[in-house]
Amino acid sequence: MILSLMANQIQQLDGIFQALSDPTRRAVVGRLGKGPASISDLAQPFDMALPSFMKHIGLLETTGLIRTHKTGRVRMCAIEKNGLRAVETWLSAQRALWEGRTDRLEQFVTKRQRKDTAS
Amino acid sequence: MNPQFDPALDLSIKRIIKAPRAMVWEAWTDPRQLEQWWIPAPAKCRVAALDPMPGGAFETQISEGGAPFAPHVDGCFLAVDAGSRIVFTTALVAGWRPATNPFVTAIITLTDDPDGTAYAAHVMHKNGADRTMHDEAGFAAGWGTAIAQLANIVEG
Repeated sequence: MILSLMANQIQQLDGIFQALSDPTRRAVVGRLGKGPASISDLAQPFDMALPSFMKHIGLLETTGLIRTHKTGRVRMCAIEKNGLRAVETWLSAQRALWEGRTDRLEQFVTKRQRKDTAS
Repeated sequence: MNPQFDPALDLSIKRIIKAPRAMVWEAWTDPRQLEQWWIPAPAKCRVAALDPMPGGAFETQISEGGAPFAPHVDGCFLAVDAGSRIVFTTALVAGWRPATNPFVTAIITLTDDPDGTAYAAHVMHKNGADRTMHDEAGFAAGWGTAIAQLANIVEG
């Protein structure tokens, strides 16, 4: 079950990590983490022509990291929670692995240390 | 050399260990000691090779539920500064030969602390899909944690 889950996610993860490898796109995701925003608000901090900025938005949307919708003449962007969850799950799994490893090292060493002190 | 921290791919673990630096170093570099903490019980760990020098093999094996030992970590050391730093990677195997499944480079640093040893692990992952295959059990953990948290990480 885990394996099929992973197979489904691998392709998405590839795209997500590629999308997050760019500083502009990371900044956009970071900004949207605080709440939805319009394209023009998002583009404002960047010294970039709108068509170039739209390419970044398009890639983020295709990857599934954000979604956009039009309200009147304004296109709004918002974070797509499932996309972020896929990344977070992977990274938190690796974190759990290394935290556990460090816990065990710490326990192992302090146990030996106490033995040494006692003898 | 201190590589940049990439929040999308890296982990940083820091801990104060209440024991002398020499003991922490020994726990990392003595195969009999590493076997006792590297893999969580009840699985068993066997160190197939541990040659703490640049290009030296670092190979551990795992046995779960009494099954025969299977490959776990297969890599090599990139830098070893006695008592203070270990850098290993699975992008290369013994003798710097390119590995089939590059996955991780880890920088372990030990420094003196008034309470014992300041232990730090900077773990850098490959940007690619195969990383999800690394730890199946671990992958199942941690579903559904807060989204805002990642947004903060990504923003940084």
